[in-house]
Amino acid sequence: MDRTTEKQFEVQRLPFMKSIIEMKDIVKVFPPNVVAVDGVTADFRRGEIHAIVGENGAGKSTLMKVLYGLEPKNSGEILFHGQITNFKDPGEAIAAGIGMVHQEILLIQEYTIWENIVLGIEPVGLLGRMNQGEARREVQKKIDEFKFNLNPDDKVAEISVAARQKVEILKLLYRNVEVLILDEPTSVLTPQEIPQLFTELQRLRDNGKTILFISHHLDEVLTLSDRITVMRKGKKIDTVDAKDTNKKDLARMMVGRDVLFLSKREAKKPGPVVFSIDNLTYIDGNQRKRLDHLHLQIRAGEIVGIAGVEGNGQFELVNSIMGLSHPSSGQIQVNGKELTTADILERRKCVSFVSQDRSKMGAAVKASITDNVMMTHHRLNKHFTRWKGMLLDYRYSRQFTHQIEEQFSVSMGSMDNPFQSLSGGNQQKVILGRELLLEAPFLLLDQPTRGLDVGSIEYVHETILKMRSQDRAILLISADLEELFRISDRIVVLSRGKIVADLPTEKATVDQVGYLMLEGENKTIEKEIR
Amino acid sequence: MRKKFVSGVLGILAALILGAVIMLFQGYDPIATYGALFSYSLGGLYPLATTLRNSVPLILTGLSASVAFASGPVNLGQPGQLLIGALFATVGGLYIHLPAVLLIPLLLILAMIGGALWSGIAALLRRLFSMDEFITTLMLNMIADFLTYWAISYPFFDKTSYSPMTPQIDKAAWLPEFGNFNTNILVMVMVFVAVWFIFSRLTAGYEWRLTGQNSIFARLGGCKIDKNYVTVMLLTGALAGLAGGLVVMAGPHRFIKGLGANYAWDGVMIAMVANNDLIGTLLYGLFFSSLQSGALGMELITAVPSEFIQVLQSVIVLVVVAGRGVLDVVLDKSQIKRKARERTA
Repeated sequence: MDRTTEKQFEVQRLPFMKSIIEMKDIVKVFPPNVVAVDGVTADFRRGEIHAIVGENGAGKSTLMKVLYGLEPKNSGEILFHGQITNFKDPGEAIAAGIGMVHQEILLIQEYTIWENIVLGIEPVGLLGRMNQGEARREVQKKIDEFKFNLNPDDKVAEISVAARQKVEILKLLYRNVEVLILDEPTSVLTPQEIPQLFTELQRLRDNGKTILFISHHLDEVLTLSDRITVMRKGKKIDTVDAKDTNKKDLARMMVGRDVLFLSKREAKKPGPVVFSIDNLTYIDGNQRKRLDHLHLQIRAGEIVGIAGVEGNGQFELVNSIMGLSHPSSGQIQVNGKELTTADILERRKCVSFVSQDRSKMGAAVKASITDNVMMTHHRLNKHFTRWKGMLLDYRYSRQFTHQIEEQFSVSMGSMDNPFQSLSGGNQQKVILGRELLLEAPFLLLDQPTRGLDVGSIEYVHETILKMRSQDRAILLISADLEELFRISDRIVVLSRGKIVADLPTEKATVDQVGYLMLEGENKTIEKEIR
Repeated sequence: MRKKFVSGVLGILAALILGAVIMLFQGYDPIATYGALFSYSLGGLYPLATTLRNSVPLILTGLSASVAFASGPVNLGQPGQLLIGALFATVGGLYIHLPAVLLIPLLLILAMIGGALWSGIAALLRRLFSMDEFITTLMLNMIADFLTYWAISYPFFDKTSYSPMTPQIDKAAWLPEFGNFNTNILVMVMVFVAVWFIFSRLTAGYEWRLTGQNSIFARLGGCKIDKNYVTVMLLTGALAGLAGGLVVMAGPHRFIKGLGANYAWDGVMIAMVANNDLIGTLLYGLFFSSLQSGALGMELITAVPSEFIQVLQSVIVLVVVAGRGVLDVVLDKSQIKRKARERTA
């Protein structure tokens, strides 16, 4: 009975709401046997903002790349305007009217906005020369048409990230696309810039464009979109109207269980000062002050979060603490031990470090899991070696790998497999295991949840909080304000190499921190507003 | 490990078939040719002894390249290090007179010191002036070439001969032979086991390997990568130098012009074919040596010129190195097809 009414409803609805794109039973397998998209059927309508949500690795980006012709599908079919289509590359997709803005912005820095936009389809005048005046006029026309706040003569290098994103969108509009795919467009923006983007996207929708919007931030998905498709582990879970759902339901569909959004931090009195930096300054090869007289103290059992737009000194701070570069002046101490000029092994005796880039700094991805787990321990823990440290005790390190496997619930095939055979979340668990079991009093965590799915993020947060209750001093650098507010005791805002605020989390608000993050960047904002 | 072995064997078989096709085009009988090739390299004690003896410099220089490449430094100076090692051993053998038990180990050590000295110059240039060892080791090869040529033409010239060569070294320094088998193979096996042990079991080898995989990770993990760099350069230089010493002490017992032949470059090639795997280097070293040793016999009974072996070697390198990637792609593709079919069924 139920089924027949549902069917009737479907039949009735279809003629009114016309699908511009229909995807049927799409399957995409990545070698060797990762099923990224697993028989997904979805439809997208003309003039809607359609969000595709899911955890990292749920297949949302892959599904869009298949649609856009960037990844060939292994089976299934795609209908565009009711016609079966098979884009071999993004060029064909754009010509047909589907464009995609990627997470990384791909523009030529030294070109002006209009030059970037016409690049590849320049209006050609006499003798194959570009008709510059006409090109610039055309771009200005598009800017006016969609009311974008851009000056076509600005150099891309000199405009803000948000403006660059607009240029990317404009580039596609200039090519007359009907469907815009945006891959996590807000991930590079500050909290203040996001509403502006949303207004612009809504205006595009009202002009009849279809917008497909990949995200895993549920709040923004709910405010912006008309319909939402939820994916989990390569499968489509459901497509729902945004007005009929809420954050909790979406999260449950994404993760497959209930997720807590509240801080689980218990009240705790911090102990003595463990980590301190004093007057830390770093001047780079171009005589620019990357770190400007930083003062910071972290007590035992305290988590201090560093907020800041990327590139405001976080990288230099991490390098100075780890000994990859030497500060121009100032001091770094852990438990009263002077580390400013100590060699790296000396630092590692009291610093555990989780880097933001697993494959670049956190692991040797082609070496075995065991080989990765032993690193640093092989120098600091006597059990790992024999003959006065000369001979490795592989039996012990295998036991140790087992211990990490169980204690941090890692799912691994064999510990002799290469590290890269693990999934992202499991890689991070192994790295966390290795670093936390060093039992150093100070933990430096640089974006420890970057690129992880919701479930793994929760796990990492719990682990960090456990370390807090074990009286370790923790410095957490993160681009995710939600994360900082969730687990840190204090939030320190870094802007242009300066600490511009140091607030107890209870007294800070997201808007306030977001504003402070930007304070040092007034110049670019002005430029954009003009 | 098993996959590596399978892809290696498949690659060699494919290369041999390709070689047969080339021979057919040239009008030769491939079966007779391969028969001659392998009966003169593996069929019987004397051919086998020759193959083993000739494999020593190939495997040692291959080992040198494998250890270096797998640990990071691009040491391409094996040819020069081999020559300097050979010169050190020769000069020692000319002027030091001791019983064999002492003299042989002493000259082997001298050869290693010579090789290490030569790679050490490159390491020093890197540490002091950040000069890339990729370039300096190659340039030092030239210098070693002319330096040894000068040494055997003037200071250590054998006045009774008509072409550049030194006199014979002290008889006590000649490596003993048992029947047809030269003891250079024993030295090689001992050194191979030692290097394998250092590389796969010692803490130092672990740090080298991980530095070769990702040096910034190793550095952050507390490995002293600068010190390790120098150690690896010295060790791999010593290995190539030892190869040179053994060539002198097992063979002509003097330094003659063209002593280094093409051993070291073949060694580098073997390391590449073996993908810097130590056991692989040993096996491919033996295989390439058997090809080279059989080449003369092949030329003797068939009309195929011995240069054909170089063609065959090149084909093997191409097929094995390219095949490694192809095999993965093919396996992946078939797996994807199966998965996709499962999903839609």
